[in-house]
Amino acid sequence: MDVRLQVSMVFHLDKCIGCHTCSIACKNVWTDRKGAEYMWWNNVETKPGTGYPTKWEDQSKYNGGWEKKDNGKPELKMGNRASRLINIFHNPSLPKMDDYYEPFTYKYEDLFDSPEGADQPTARPISMVTGKFMDIEAGPNWDDDLGGSPVYAENDANFEGLSPEEQQELFDVERLVFFYLPRICNHCLNPACVAACPSGAIYKRGEDGIVLINQEVCRGWRMCVSACPYKKTYYNWSTGKSEKCILCFPRLETGQAPACFHSCVGRIRYLGGILYDADRLTDALNVDDDKLVDAHRDLILDPRDPVVREKAKENGIDERTLEACERSPVYRYVKEWKMALPLHSEFRTLPMLFYVPPLLPVMAKTENGVYETANDELFSPIEKARLPIKYLASLFSAGNTDQVSYALKKQYAVRLFKRLETVGDVSEEVVNYALAECGMDAEEAEAVYRLTSLPTMDERVVIPPMHREEAMAMLDDDMWEQKGSAGFGFREAPVRGA
Amino acid sequence: MEMQSEPKRARTAIERLAVVGLLIVFTTLVGALRAEAQDDGAKLFETRCYSCHNIGGGDKQGPDLKGVTERQSREWIEEFVKSPTAMSRKDPVAAELFKKFSPTIMPDQTLTPAELDSIITLIKNLTSKNETFVPSGAKLSRAIVPADIIAGKELFTGQIHLANGAPSCNSCHSVNGVGALGGGTLGPDLTAANIKYRDPELISILQSPNFPTMNTIFTNHKLTDEEVVQLFAYLQNAKQVYPEASVVPTQAAATTDPRFLVLGFGAATLVLIGLNVFWRKRSHGVRKEMVRRSKI
Repeated sequence: MDVRLQVSMVFHLDKCIGCHTCSIACKNVWTDRKGAEYMWWNNVETKPGTGYPTKWEDQSKYNGGWEKKDNGKPELKMGNRASRLINIFHNPSLPKMDDYYEPFTYKYEDLFDSPEGADQPTARPISMVTGKFMDIEAGPNWDDDLGGSPVYAENDANFEGLSPEEQQELFDVERLVFFYLPRICNHCLNPACVAACPSGAIYKRGEDGIVLINQEVCRGWRMCVSACPYKKTYYNWSTGKSEKCILCFPRLETGQAPACFHSCVGRIRYLGGILYDADRLTDALNVDDDKLVDAHRDLILDPRDPVVREKAKENGIDERTLEACERSPVYRYVKEWKMALPLHSEFRTLPMLFYVPPLLPVMAKTENGVYETANDELFSPIEKARLPIKYLASLFSAGNTDQVSYALKKQYAVRLFKRLETVGDVSEEVVNYALAECGMDAEEAEAVYRLTSLPTMDERVVIPPMHREEAMAMLDDDMWEQKGSAGFGFREAPVRGA
Repeated sequence: MEMQSEPKRARTAIERLAVVGLLIVFTTLVGALRAEAQDDGAKLFETRCYSCHNIGGGDKQGPDLKGVTERQSREWIEEFVKSPTAMSRKDPVAAELFKKFSPTIMPDQTLTPAELDSIITLIKNLTSKNETFVPSGAKLSRAIVPADIIAGKELFTGQIHLANGAPSCNSCHSVNGVGALGGGTLGPDLTAANIKYRDPELISILQSPNFPTMNTIFTNHKLTDEEVVQLFAYLQNAKQVYPEASVVPTQAAATTDPRFLVLGFGAATLVLIGLNVFWRKRSHGVRKEMVRRSKI
């Protein structure tokens, strides 16, 4: 057993209101720079929809992620080492700028400087790349709220498993439905970007599992951009280096929540430490698609288990960190309650950002030309969900509908449970049946309710103490020697006259 | 004083004989050396000068050198040979010569003073005897047969490598009928080489090309006798097939073939198609295509 710590995340989609505050917070802190204008380390997509960059989930176009191989060694979908080397100057699987969008601003000065004329002056859009006038054709959330769009919604890559009738139903006016999918870097356990980098510039931090690109080593080959199936590494055309979400590690190291977590209006974001067994990583990668979620979950270890704690300490994980892991909301949602699922686990990168699938709103219907929102039952059972379970399963459990059903049933049962408790217009039998169906007792239902609806900031974001001093000790460098010679300045000694 | 007064001892007969003998040996030796120098001169003249100059046989590409030693000083000759072009700029006689033999320009020669001396000796010698220079080696090693023309072409184009490792002729030269792609354009078109030079001169050139560019390459990679025969046959034939070819060297001759243009377009098209096939899996952008194909 090789116990490692991962700072892991849960996004509760049932709470997301699609306000993009997270995206703006991230943009303001990190990507409001030349060359990074088009990057959205955090973005919010409307589902069904094609996302950002367009159709990122369609790996027949982008060749991201891993493929299972019979020899037990998963291979990058973009090709083996030899073919990657051959294509190193001519990477064929890159998204074009148009697939993201060409960043633009407006020529505001025209509003003030234009000569007097018969018409009002306008601020024409100009490209932030070329500085020339341009026609805006797309944006990072161009399909925002376009639930039934025949352009964007219909081209959702997750419709593959759905029959034409099932697809058509999604576009009936009265059935039309959409939800939001906020995305950041998943800080995967088996990151394809790290494996694909020819320069060895990308690494997964040993002490907390944050995946980072070393800007001093990156040579801008852009192999990571192709390899990441979530398209969460971005090439900065100004610096010639690739960049990605850093999970606001400077904030985490000082005990603050990442900017997107901190600013989340719907409070959908949970962060906490997770212990996992690195020895069994390859086992979790070599299972069939429908078992991937279970295998992924199996890697996660119980921080209360004395054996785990012993092994964790051997690996230099501090006692206070273990205590934080015990309080981790992520551990509860993912491992204890099995309500949070990884996004597209079939990409086999073992993403460490989990999603609680959305329990969609009350089912409406039209009868005799009357739009009727009332239902026989107060909450429509998940079997009657507007979005087919198959669709959600394609997103969150590699096609395994049982996993998604279970997560939805649990949310459904908690709703009924609380309805009975607070209003009392649901029969106890129905509630007990719903609880029993997902093997939940009243205590757990209450806990789910509390962590979902009433969590404080400290309960949502449980940052394990970063212990930078111990992370330093993990490095091979003799830090005491550095201390004596450098005085201050971590990487370079101050030099007179330099 | 006694010693001074001692009478001179007379030479003995044997001593006289020895002196005479020594003199004979010495003169013979000098004569032999001079003869050898003249032989050297002949060989040098044949390899280095004969392709363009004669002694007593009349003008060729360059003037007949008979009596040049009487017309000009040794210093003049030496300076001229070292750099004819430089000489032509300052010396009226040299300028006149250049005018007369235009457009041919004599290349700079790298002769040591000793080599120049032996050539001058040869010229003096032949002039005084009023003899004409007869090359000894500029002969084909055997008679030409028709198959030599084909073999010569293959040698010219490089289909058969030259035995001593020299580059094939068409790296620098072209000749009519060598193929649509033509040959190189560094050196002159050789279609008319057989008119410009008489047979022994051409053979001499093939045996030891004495042009500055070729000299450096072929000194250590001489053509074999057999190759000389085959290439000679090929060049002779080229003139017969294309009698209209000009003696004046045409540098652009290789590109006049219209097939070259067609071939160029064809090859470019093939390369472009090949690239398209080779990179057919390359991503060409997703969004634009998706929007174009959607129903609205």
